[in-house]
Amino acid sequence: MTEFIQATAFGLLIGGVYALFASGLTLIFGVMKVINIAHGALLILGAFLTFTLWDELGIDPLAAILITTPAMFAFGYLLYLTMIRPLRGAPLSSTVLLTFGLALVFEAAMGLIWGNESRSARPSYFDQSFDVAGIVLPKAQVYACAVAILVLSLLWIFLTRTWAGRAIRAASANTEGASLVGVNIAGVSALTFAVGIATVGAAGSMVSVLYPFLPGSHYIWIARVLSIIVLGGLGSLKGAVVGAALLGLAEVYTQTYISASWATAVPYLLIFIVLFVRPQGLMGTRLREDVAV
Amino acid sequence: MRRPRPEGRFWRLWLTFAALVAVVAIGAGCGGDDDDGGDSGEPIKIGISLPLTGEFSQPGKAAQQGYEVWRDTVNEQGGLLDRQVELVIRDDASDQNTVVADYNSLISQENVDLLLGTFSSLLNLPASAAAERNRMLYVEPAGGAPEIFERDFQYGPFFTQQATADKQGDLFVEWVLGLPENERPKTAAYPVLDDPFTVPVIDAIKAKFEEAGIETVYEDVYPASTSNFDSIANAVKSENPDLVANGAQFDDGIGFRRSLTKVGFEPKILFQTNAPSFGQQYADGVGVQNTEGTFFAISHTPDADTPGNKEFVQKFAETFGGEEPAEDAADAYASGQVLQAAVDGVGSIDDQLALADWLRDNTVETILGPLQWEDTGAPIGEFLIGQWQNGRAEIVLPEDAATSDQIIAVRPAAAQ
Repeated sequence: MTEFIQATAFGLLIGGVYALFASGLTLIFGVMKVINIAHGALLILGAFLTFTLWDELGIDPLAAILITTPAMFAFGYLLYLTMIRPLRGAPLSSTVLLTFGLALVFEAAMGLIWGNESRSARPSYFDQSFDVAGIVLPKAQVYACAVAILVLSLLWIFLTRTWAGRAIRAASANTEGASLVGVNIAGVSALTFAVGIATVGAAGSMVSVLYPFLPGSHYIWIARVLSIIVLGGLGSLKGAVVGAALLGLAEVYTQTYISASWATAVPYLLIFIVLFVRPQGLMGTRLREDVAV
Repeated sequence: MRRPRPEGRFWRLWLTFAALVAVVAIGAGCGGDDDDGGDSGEPIKIGISLPLTGEFSQPGKAAQQGYEVWRDTVNEQGGLLDRQVELVIRDDASDQNTVVADYNSLISQENVDLLLGTFSSLLNLPASAAAERNRMLYVEPAGGAPEIFERDFQYGPFFTQQATADKQGDLFVEWVLGLPENERPKTAAYPVLDDPFTVPVIDAIKAKFEEAGIETVYEDVYPASTSNFDSIANAVKSENPDLVANGAQFDDGIGFRRSLTKVGFEPKILFQTNAPSFGQQYADGVGVQNTEGTFFAISHTPDADTPGNKEFVQKFAETFGGEEPAEDAADAYASGQVLQAAVDGVGSIDDQLALADWLRDNTVETILGPLQWEDTGAPIGEFLIGQWQNGRAEIVLPEDAATSDQIIAVRPAAAQ
């Protein structure tokens, strides 16, 4: 029983970070129908920025979220204006190709700026753990998960309690309908993209203290986040949170009870099963084809 | 339509024939240099593909540095066969398909004269096959998986470290089994990265320990995409082994080591492949306080009293801002030395098979010490064993190469 509780704790802790990472991507897809393949590279960019702040100025990586999040928001806005906006209305394949190209450019740029050495921030708590009734809770994971929940909560409040957030949700539900009632779709798209990149910057700060990373690490992360948003339902924030938790648990349970060598494959098997039963994902909505807009 | 006059047709045929003769003559004139080993004024081009990006970028970059220092050293001494050496380096992005494409391109399009190998068994396995298909000597600095040498190749590959992967832990195993009965570990755990290098290292260690009666209480293989090691470390902890032997490259070695501390488990004896040999980078990754007592296998130390080593270390520092060379840089430099010895020994670069046969028949003095090979290209020698002590990576075995006169039998963290 202790082993099961321990595994569950590990899975949920890492699921919190996954959820924050995936929230931005699913938000962007929901409004703009853009699958941002560069999301993983932007996560690593956030990690490098955080590492630099920690290494040069001694700023705690999790506290650095207060700096990296607005910085990544601004970067995301600029990226939207220069790269993404021209492709509005283009086929999905075009945006996938563009953002994949951007991922490669970001990887090369990070390699030039920071080099291809592996980095990881080591604040005082990086290798410490809480011991709660025999259950080990790594402090870095606990703090990261707590911050992730806080950021996701703020995002939820923004989406449900502000006019801009409601506009984003309206545009996500029905772009043309939202436009008809006065929502500025272009502005909402820019805001959504920037918010999505800001959340990935926050997730990057957490990654910097949890795992070693280098510019090429984004491939592992983009594969993970795509499977989360597909599992949870494309465009669904709630789905991203649930999907992230499930993926985190599936990975840890597989490592604990089956084998570490299956830890990558079994979560995708889970996704396959879920999509077989619910093709729209756990919390995605199914569009009626006879009234497709 | 008027039929062409016979005289007109004759002139066209004559002009066509003359043009063909001219083209062949010009082509023969241009190609003539290749037949006699190249113009003495032209540099010798050496083709190399390295993982400068991707999961092996860290050691790949170190290998590039080692190759560049070797090139500069050789050129300052007059070059190879009185010709300057030029390196043509490509980035294979740690990808097996790309490394094959790179070497094929280097051979067929860049027309390089010689090849030097890439980093990792994963990449050298297909790359050496590409070299063999093109009948070119293949000398590689970092690919010790036994399967690389089981293919009856003629042109290599020649591995320029002291031993293949399955023998790298030999001295460590010998030391463990030589401990007094009450200090010898009774149980062991083996978490291993799924990699053609790490698996044979740990499999060989495990086989010898099991034969000696050390019980295996945990063994598992994790994929390269693993980033979260907490549950693996926890699973190891739950078995409470006396000894943990982790087959790792770099990031995963760092991740596993950090997770061991996070879950609160410190084995009495810890052995890791590769990661601890990266010196300060390893200490930066896991925290210097967590390095104490960790064993690792290594091929080079900057303090070794081997021919040319001091000069190499000095030149490396001059070239790269005072840095000490990583093991992979030294291995790459040694590869260059081996290639140079073969070329000097044969006196030509034309007959690649003669170069390979020369290496089979001779011992080469390098900064890693003397290197010699079996017919398969597998090296015949002993690997060094290092241990982190007081924040420094020391060599502890064999005794004649040791930089420290003590070996920590039980890690201090485990003794607390």
